[in-house]
Amino acid sequence: MKFIAIITAKILILLGKILKRGSSLPGKVALKIDKKILSKLTYPNIKVVVTGSAGKGSTTNKIAKTLKLNGKTVCFNEEGSNLAWGVTTSLLRFSTLTGKIKTEYLVLEIDERYTKECLKYILPDYVVITNLTKDQPPRQHYIDNVYHDLISSIPKNSKIITLMDEALLRNIENDLPNEIIYFGLAQNKYSYKTQIFENLTSTFCPKCDSPLIYDYYNFENLGSYKCSKCSFKYLEPKTLGQDIDLEKEEVTIDNEKISIGGDMLYDVYNTISTVAVLKELGMSIKDIKNSLAKLNGPKKDKFFKNSDKLYRYFSCKSENAPTFNQALYKISMDQDEKDIIIGWNIISKRYPHTDVSWLYDIEFELLNSKNTNKIYVLGMNRHDLKTRFILAGIPEDKIIEGNNIPEIKDKILNSPAKKIYCMSHYEYGAIFKNTFKEEK
Amino acid sequence: MKFNIAHLFPEELDLYGENGNIKALKYALEKKGYTVTITNISFNDTPNFSLYDFIYIGSGRPIYLEKAKNILINYKEKILKYLEQDKIFLVTGNALSIFDFLNLYEYTTEKETVTSNVNATTSLCNGVIKAFQNTDYLIKTTSNLLFNIEFGYGNSSTKLEGFKYHNFYVTSLIGPLLARNNNLLNYFIELLEENKQA
Repeated sequence: MKFIAIITAKILILLGKILKRGSSLPGKVALKIDKKILSKLTYPNIKVVVTGSAGKGSTTNKIAKTLKLNGKTVCFNEEGSNLAWGVTTSLLRFSTLTGKIKTEYLVLEIDERYTKECLKYILPDYVVITNLTKDQPPRQHYIDNVYHDLISSIPKNSKIITLMDEALLRNIENDLPNEIIYFGLAQNKYSYKTQIFENLTSTFCPKCDSPLIYDYYNFENLGSYKCSKCSFKYLEPKTLGQDIDLEKEEVTIDNEKISIGGDMLYDVYNTISTVAVLKELGMSIKDIKNSLAKLNGPKKDKFFKNSDKLYRYFSCKSENAPTFNQALYKISMDQDEKDIIIGWNIISKRYPHTDVSWLYDIEFELLNSKNTNKIYVLGMNRHDLKTRFILAGIPEDKIIEGNNIPEIKDKILNSPAKKIYCMSHYEYGAIFKNTFKEEK
Repeated sequence: MKFNIAHLFPEELDLYGENGNIKALKYALEKKGYTVTITNISFNDTPNFSLYDFIYIGSGRPIYLEKAKNILINYKEKILKYLEQDKIFLVTGNALSIFDFLNLYEYTTEKETVTSNVNATTSLCNGVIKAFQNTDYLIKTTSNLLFNIEFGYGNSSTKLEGFKYHNFYVTSLIGPLLARNNNLLNYFIELLEENKQA
């Protein structure tokens, strides 16, 4: 059965390559032929699984590409198919017909709710949990489901590499006997003392449920905390990012300035998690620094210019708050007069639900400023977005509803705003650029 | 007119952005020129039910629903007195599982979390109600109902949802319900005004 499953998957992978089709079908078919196929493979000597609510794809890519840059052979799911079928496809792509994956390293991104189907077979040396946030409410419902699935799936010999700044993850050591290696971000010039976000994943002690007291916040509920009642508290992690500079796109780790490859806080966290893993795999901080500098290349322009305006697109993940909140926080720091475009025509590719409750977890109040000229709300949730902005205190005459980006092109071109920001996901990024990028 | 709105446990029960209901109430009342005070009550606070015109409680993680119930059970008589004075109390989403101690309605725990878009109508106001369900609990009682469900789940496998007693409104629907439905929001604004004038 194993041989038939592997050969069938390999044929389908080849066909998929020719037809330029998706990557989960071969794994789906292989699992149908032999549902225990994952237990019958011979894995590389060193196995790393990356999971968590967000940032797992970027972290996986950074780890795998750094290893490859240093001459190592790596099996990883570069295409980001992180459910059981997609993971199986990736593994079979790299395996021989006898089921041996002939690379030195395995670095896999796995969806946080699918670790329970995969980890018991893969038995990773390291399980990296990037973070844990409220996400996809119709699927995850509440964080306890994700946390339970995650920790119940981690094999007893796996070392866990996770985020100290998130109290829920710091509490894993009270639930599991595994060795845990922490990473985190120190207080920095962007940290703040008074919370500015609402409806956070958790602000209570995961051990005794009393309120947590924060010395500072790096973002949302990430920061340095201690319980108001029990002994539960933040401790300095083994890999600590310091002195971040988002303009220079750098973070200092072990006295080395490391390139983060972007100017968002999630770029910082994804880099620190990557460094934490690579250090455990035996790489020196100097080699990591040089590799990430090479991978990221020189700083890229975040804005494109067209006549008198600067345009920037933020790719935000729907059904949760963090990427929107980071974009909003960044936009709110910009004192120039600006227009904001926000919208989408699909919320989720997974299900037909049109839940918009998560819009109220996002701090749209940050745009309530005299520098906000107009806010364009587009697509399927434009009415819900308009209501959300009104309830965020934005004057109604600043909010304009529309169907799509091309429809508002002239209004934007004639706007007095000097900066145009667009926040969306899926299809709007390309449309935004195509609509406003200067023709050469 | 001045209105006091109490939000029970907004930090502990903060799933599904249901504080949008408070934002919607505040916005609509202030637009009419009224003064609005929002009192956020945490697990460590002592609520004074005689002060409020409107009490709201929304969805939360199961561990906090249980804790909320253990706290509120101590206020059973005060809550019943508040309700019998026709003051408004709105319970949405899975917070419906907290109040069975009032012995006014029963609820069921579902085998799988109920997740659905909702289209409904109601005798409280004209027009359609757009909402969402994401709950482990549904109301069992099939009298004193709130919504006719066109799409979604009702009480005890019927197409009727919610529970009403005086001005105690309990529903599994989220949205946030008042932010998404101006018609229902206006019903509550008028009710607040009537209560003040009475």
